[in-house]
Amino acid sequence: MTAAPYPLIMGICLLLGFATGMILHRSDYCIAGMFRDLFLFKRVVMLRTLLLLIVSSMVLFELARLLGMLPLYPFPLLYSPTPANLIGGFLFGIGMVLAGGCVVGTLYKMGAGSILSTAAFAGLILGSALYAEIHPFWASFIKRTTFFSGSITLPQILKLPPVILIVPAAAVGLFLLLKWKKSGGLLRQSSAEGYLQPWKAALLLSLLGLSSYVLIGMPLGITSSYAKLSGYLGSIVFPDHVAGLAYYQAIPLKYVHPLTNTYLEGGGGPRFDVLSAVQFPLVAGIILGSLSSALSLKEFRIYYKVPAGQYISAFTGGIIMGLASRMAPTCNVWHLMGGLPILAASSMLFLTGLLPGAWLGSRLLMGLVLKNPVAEKGRCKV
Amino acid sequence: MKVIEFDIRGQICPSTLLTALKEINEYSDQLVDGTVRLAFRTDNRDAVGTIPESATNMGYSVTVTRGDGYYLIEIDGLEP
Repeated sequence: MTAAPYPLIMGICLLLGFATGMILHRSDYCIAGMFRDLFLFKRVVMLRTLLLLIVSSMVLFELARLLGMLPLYPFPLLYSPTPANLIGGFLFGIGMVLAGGCVVGTLYKMGAGSILSTAAFAGLILGSALYAEIHPFWASFIKRTTFFSGSITLPQILKLPPVILIVPAAAVGLFLLLKWKKSGGLLRQSSAEGYLQPWKAALLLSLLGLSSYVLIGMPLGITSSYAKLSGYLGSIVFPDHVAGLAYYQAIPLKYVHPLTNTYLEGGGGPRFDVLSAVQFPLVAGIILGSLSSALSLKEFRIYYKVPAGQYISAFTGGIIMGLASRMAPTCNVWHLMGGLPILAASSMLFLTGLLPGAWLGSRLLMGLVLKNPVAEKGRCKV
Repeated sequence: MKVIEFDIRGQICPSTLLTALKEINEYSDQLVDGTVRLAFRTDNRDAVGTIPESATNMGYSVTVTRGDGYYLIEIDGLEP
C-alpha cells in the first residue's frame, strides 16, 4: 500500500496559501466588498477584475484539460445542481457582507491584524457547527431536489464537449475586458504602499487556482477546514454528541490524487485526512502570507476599540457564512474561482443567489450596523 | 485653518468611506471657504483608494501621507 502523500500535499498548499495571502493583502482583493460596493456605491472596477479572474481561470483550466493535465474533470466535491445552491448562495451573500469579508477575505484581513475578521472567523466555525445539526434534513432536501442527476457542468447537461461552450463564453468575457482595459476601466487609483493592481491580482490568483487543480486535483477551497475545526472544538465540549452527528461521519471526498496516483479520502469530521492536509495549510498560508505582507509594509496593527455593533455584525455574518457554505454546499471561492470557470451549473445557481444576498446584506449593514458611523467612531490602541 | 481629525482605524468596511463621505458633506461649506481641513486616519488599504477618489470627484483637494502603521488622508478646499 502506498503511503498517503500528505507532507507533499501540505507543503504545496502552504506555499499556494502563502502566495494567495500576499496577493490578497497587496491588492485588498475583497470579493465581499466587490458585490457590496456594486449595490452601495455602484462601483464596478473590482467586479470587472473578478470577471477577469473567472475568464482567465476558464481559459487556463480548459487549456490544461486539453493538454491532459486535469484527469479529474469536473473536479471532486462539485455536484449536480439543486435549489440548495441558490439558497446557500443567497445566505452566503448576506453573511459575507455583514462579516466584512468572505471566507478567504476574513483570513487575509485577520492576518493583517483585523480583530473584526477574527470575530467573523469564530462565527464561521460556529456556523459550520450549526450546519452539522441540520445536516440530515438538508442532505435529504438536496437529494430530493437535485436535477440533471449525473451531470455537473453545462457541457455535460447539453452533452457537448466543454470547448464548444468554453470558447464563446471566454470570448465574450475577453471582449468586455479588452473594452474596459482600453478605457482604463480595470485600473484603480490608490496611494497604498506596495499596492498591487487588482487586475494583476486576478491573473495571479487564476494561476494559483490552476496550480492547485493540477497539483492537488482541485482548485482552491477552504471551508471544510472550518467544519473540521468546529468538529474538533465540539469534541472537546460535547464529545458524545459530536461523535453521533452524521455530518462529521460522512466522507464525501474519495479520489485518486493525480500527482502521486494515490487513493485518498476526506470529510468534514474532526480527523486528519486529505481535506486536513489540503485546507489547514492553505488557511495557515493565507494568514501568514497576509501577515508577512502587512509586516513588510509596516502596516500590521491591532485595533480592537471599534463599535460593538460591528463586532456583532462580523460574528453574525460569520455564522451565516459558515452555515451557508455547508448548505450551498461550499463557498464563493470554490464556486467563482473553480466551478464557474468550468461552467458548473451549481456554481451558476450559487452566483444567482449570491447577488440578491449581497444586496440584502448591504441593506442590513447600512440599516442596522452603520446607521451613524461617525457618532460611534472608534479609538485605536496599538 | 481648523483641522478636524477622525480616527477610523480598525472598522468594518465600508464604515471608513461612509464616515469620510458624511463628514465631507457636513463640512462642505467650511471646506470650500478654506476654514476647515478634514483629516482621516485609516488602516484600511481599500479606503486609501476610495476616499481620495470620492473626494477628488467632488472637486476637493486630497493628500495622502503615511503615518506609523496608518494612512492620513487630508481633504481641504476645492481643487484649483
